[in-house]
Parts: sequence; C-alpha cells; structure tokens
Amino acid sequence: MSGQRCVLVGGGVAAASAASHLRGRGFDGEILLVGEEPDPPYERPPLSKGFLAGSTDFGELHARQPGWYAEQEIELRLGVRAESIDPVARSVTLSSGELLAYDALVLATGLRPRSLPGFDGERVHYLRTAADARRLHAELARSQRLVVLGAGFVGCEVAATAAGLGKQVTVFEPAGTPLERALGSAIGAVLTEIHREHGVEVRAGEYVSSLVHTGDGLLLTTNLGHRVECDLVLVSVGSEPNVELAAQAGLATGNGILVDEYGRTTAPGVYAIGDVAAQYHPVYRGRIRVEHHDNAVRQGANVAATLTDADEGHADTYWFWSDQYEHSLQAAGRPHDLSALVIRGSLEERSFSAFSLVGDRIRGVISLNRPADVLAVRRLLFEPHQVSAEQLRDESVPLKRLVPRTRGAAARV
Amino acid sequence: MSSAMTGQWQEAMALDDLWEGEMEGVEIGGKKVLLVNVDGEIRAYENRCPHQAWALDEGDFDGREITCVRHMWVFDALEGHGVNPDNCRLSGFPCRVSEDGMILVDVG
Ligand SMILES: Cc1cc2nc3c(=O)[nH]c(=O)nc-3n(C[C@H](O)[C@H](O)[C@H](O)COP(=O)(O)OP(=O)(O)OC[C@H]3O[C@@H](n4cnc5c(N)ncnc54)[C@H](O)[C@@H]3O)c2cc1C
Ligand code: FES
Repeated sequence: MSGQRCVLVGGGVAAASAASHLRGRGFDGEILLVGEEPDPPYERPPLSKGFLAGSTDFGELHARQPGWYAEQEIELRLGVRAESIDPVARSVTLSSGELLAYDALVLATGLRPRSLPGFDGERVHYLRTAADARRLHAELARSQRLVVLGAGFVGCEVAATAAGLGKQVTVFEPAGTPLERALGSAIGAVLTEIHREHGVEVRAGEYVSSLVHTGDGLLLTTNLGHRVECDLVLVSVGSEPNVELAAQAGLATGNGILVDEYGRTTAPGVYAIGDVAAQYHPVYRGRIRVEHHDNAVRQGANVAATLTDADEGHADTYWFWSDQYEHSLQAAGRPHDLSALVIRGSLEERSFSAFSLVGDRIRGVISLNRPADVLAVRRLLFEPHQVSAEQLRDESVPLKRLVPRTRGAAARV
Repeated sequence: MSSAMTGQWQEAMALDDLWEGEMEGVEIGGKKVLLVNVDGEIRAYENRCPHQAWALDEGDFDGREITCVRHMWVFDALEGHGVNPDNCRLSGFPCRVSEDGMILVDVG
C-alpha cells in the first residue's frame, strides 16, 4: 500500500493503534485520522476511575503525546464527523463538507451508551467520553446521592469511585446480581458484597421505571413501586455499536460491523476494528464483538498488518480488567458456561481464579486479585494443553507449568 | 538509562543468584529496584510500572520482555522501552557487575 491514503474514522485507541502500527510497519502513504471528539485519541478506562475521582489529569490519558502525530505525519481531523461513505468511489464525506478519497478506510467508530427513553435532563448522566466524565465529575462534587442504573462494568466502577468520594450510592440491577452477564452469579455475588462493604446499596432484581425532576433533585420509582430520591442518575444500561455509517453504505452489519479475521468488511478496501467490529474468530468459530480496551488496541495492530500485506488472519485471546476499590478483576478467553466454573483460591478471601473448562482445556478465566493467573492462562489458551479440574483447584500445581515447553511450535487448535 | 550516574554503587545481589531469563525485585537504599538478566546482560529498573506504578516483579519475564501483571503493558527488558504500548519506558538505574560477581546498582 505504499504511497496510498489510509483514512481512519473514529478517534479512539483502536484508530490510534492502527495509525501507529501502520507507521511501525513502514507504511509511507498518507494517514488521516477523523474523530468526532475534540481531543486526539485518549484512554477511556480512567474515565470511570482515576479521572472521575479527580486523581488523574486528562494529560495522562493521551494514547499518544499530542506532538507524536505530527512527527509521524499522521493528519488529525478532530471535531469532525464522517457523515457518509461511498464505497464505490472510495470516498468519505465529512461534516465539514470535505470529501476525502481513500485507498483503505478503517472504521473504528466505537460505541455509544444505550439511552433510556424519558431519562434525560441536567441530572441524568451517561458515561463514554471525557466530556461526559468532566460533567459527571463536576456535578458529583455538588451532590450527595447518586443512583446508578445498571450494574455492568461502567456502572460498578462509577459506583466504586463515587463511594470512594464519600457519596451515597445506590445501584439498581434488574438481573440477579451485578455483572451477572459477564461473570456469572457466583462472582457477581462476591462483587455485590464488596460494594456493600464500601457502603454502596445494591438493589438487584429491581429497576427504575420512571423518573421525575423535582425542584432540587430527582424522584425515581422502581418496578416494585419503591420511591428513591437522589441528586444524580447515571444510566449505564449497555451500549450500542456505532454502525450507522457502515450500514448506510451497504456494508454488512449486525451486532456491530461484520468483519472477517483480517478485519475486512463486505466492501473492498473498508475495514472495521475495536468496539464496533464483530470479528470472525477462527478458534471460537463465530463472530465476536468485544467491548474492551486490549481488543481495540490489538485489532488496530492487526488491521495494520493486513494493510501492509502480512498474510495472516488474527485470533486473539480476549483479555480485560476492571479495577474497583482496591480490587483487581481480570479475565481472559471466553468462558463457556458461567455456572460451571472451577475455583482456584477462595471466593470468601477475594483471591481466586475461576476457570471455564471444556473437556480438559481451559476456555476462559476470571480472576479477582490474582492477575498472575490470568497472565499464565492467557499464554496457555490457544496452546495445546491438558488440565483437570483437580489440578486447577490444587494451588500447588503452578499454572505456568501447564504451558507446553515447545511454545510456538505447536499448531493452533 | 534515564537516571544520571552518581558513582554511588551499592550491592544488590550476587550475579549467581540471578539466572539468565530471571528477574528479581530488591530494595536498595530505600528504593524498589527490579533486576533482570537478559541473556547475561544485567539491567536495573525502578520496580514500578510507568502505567500505574504496579510492582513489575509480580509480572512476567520471558527472557526478552517484561509484562506488567496489572494491565499487561509489555516492556523490552534490555532497552527498557515500551513494546505495547510503545509510547512509554521504564526508568532505569546504572548497574554493573563487580569483579567478585556482585551486581552493583547506583540508585542516585
Ligand atoms: C468509562 C469507561 C471505562 C472503561 N474501562 C475499561 C477497563 O477498565 N478495561 C477495559 O478493558 N476496557 C474498558 N473500557 C472499554 C474501552 O475503553 C473500549 O474498549 C475502547 O475505548 C474501545 O476503543 P475504540 O477505539 O474501539 O472505540 P472508542 O474508544 O469508542 O472510540 C470511537 C471514537 O469514534 C468517534 N466516532 C464515532 N462515530 C464517528 C464518526 N462517524 N465520525 C468520526 N468519529 C466518530 C467517537 O466519537 C469516539 O471518539 C472502558 C470504557 C469506558 C467508557
Ligand atoms: S500498572 Fe502496569 S500495566 Fe497498568
């Protein structure tokens, strides 16, 4: 692709990673990064943690130092939306009216929080961008009572941060326990306990059905008919991939923009990466859309490999973390059945790894405060290995030992 | 190496106790230091991840790269620069091995 023009749409870490790996692999054509937000790509994870708490400055969140783009000859078009794509003419129209021709177009448009109809107004917050986080931070400073709707990762992390700031926090989760969908009910229950110990009220199996703005706050009514007053509401009830641009151009979309293991969409020269991409995974044999940081960065690197003619599909293990209070939660792989996890360590002591096994192979692991286990398992996942539930439960069997000695030489399965 | 040399060499540990492909966290002059043996070359770094200051000796060293266990940042053990992400680096201390086989570090 020498001498050609690559346009990246979406100014998140996936786009930044693609740009950086393109240059790293010697791509010497033009690179343009079009992002709707005013800032160059930044890290979102701290938005619900250090940045919201006020302990991390925005300057620490830059994915690359601002001067880096000029050094690398990567042109930034910020505060501008890509409005439409013409996949035949190979061009993108921007909200500024400009028409950009491309040889390769990489869509990295990410997600937006799912909105709840009727839940809006000054005291109602969503959290995805630095602007959202600044607004929430400012209003938290003036408020005492926060209600969080939805106990997914963002909801739980904001609850933890707000509790740490001394706020009175109530979390509503329609499911049986927080994070049940991602982690299963046993681990969800451990996290519920942790939140409760930090003074957060967790109301599982209950949701807020209506909201009324009063003179100085909000009055919420739940499905069980309970009324709750508060100053602020965070709505964190899931998210929707930003697929519209792709869909309008006739690219195949479903739960995300559909891509193969090379990151290719159904239109020639158009790729999709990061939170918005539903990528075919040769090991799991299906399309998977992942809403986590490491995946976005890796898919950025992968698409750069594809664009610079590396002839390999990509099969990443999935890995993510969520820091809540002093606890470090990490997971790798795709658990198969969350109700049949094998526990190493102790749920009560909050130091455990929960393994998902299919036959004698590990499919995934979720760990609380045992990050070294996740590191070992991540190395192991796509390597041939054999392990029993007994071995995993037995802490005297080091996980590292399960890795075959001839690492790399073995075929992937 | 990012730190200037002050010429104050302090004994860290015996080279014999740090095999090739191993890393070890030690404390020298009140500073937490990470020693790594990369194919016989010794390096000394601050034992704090540049991301969020997690202790690097809790992570993984595969002989070439150090992986921080907290959010999996990866560093080149010989040069100290970030591999993923590549826009960071470990802060290093001057170090050398004395004639009698002691690893000496200058923590300034
Ligand atoms: C509060 C919060 C906390 C998180 N914490 C963690 C964590 O602890 N661990 C973890 O693994 N992950 C975490 N994540 C998830 C992680 O941040 C995402 O997986 C990652 O940001 C995805 O990167 P991306 O580049 O694919 O998309 P995004 O970061 O969403 O970037 C997409 C960008 O594209 C822009 N855009 C969209 N449409 C257009 C258009 N038409 N034209 C131009 N620009 C457009 C958007 O404005 C946005 O800036 C967190 C996310 C949030 C919001
Ligand atoms: S603290 Fe080391 S990677 Fe985050």
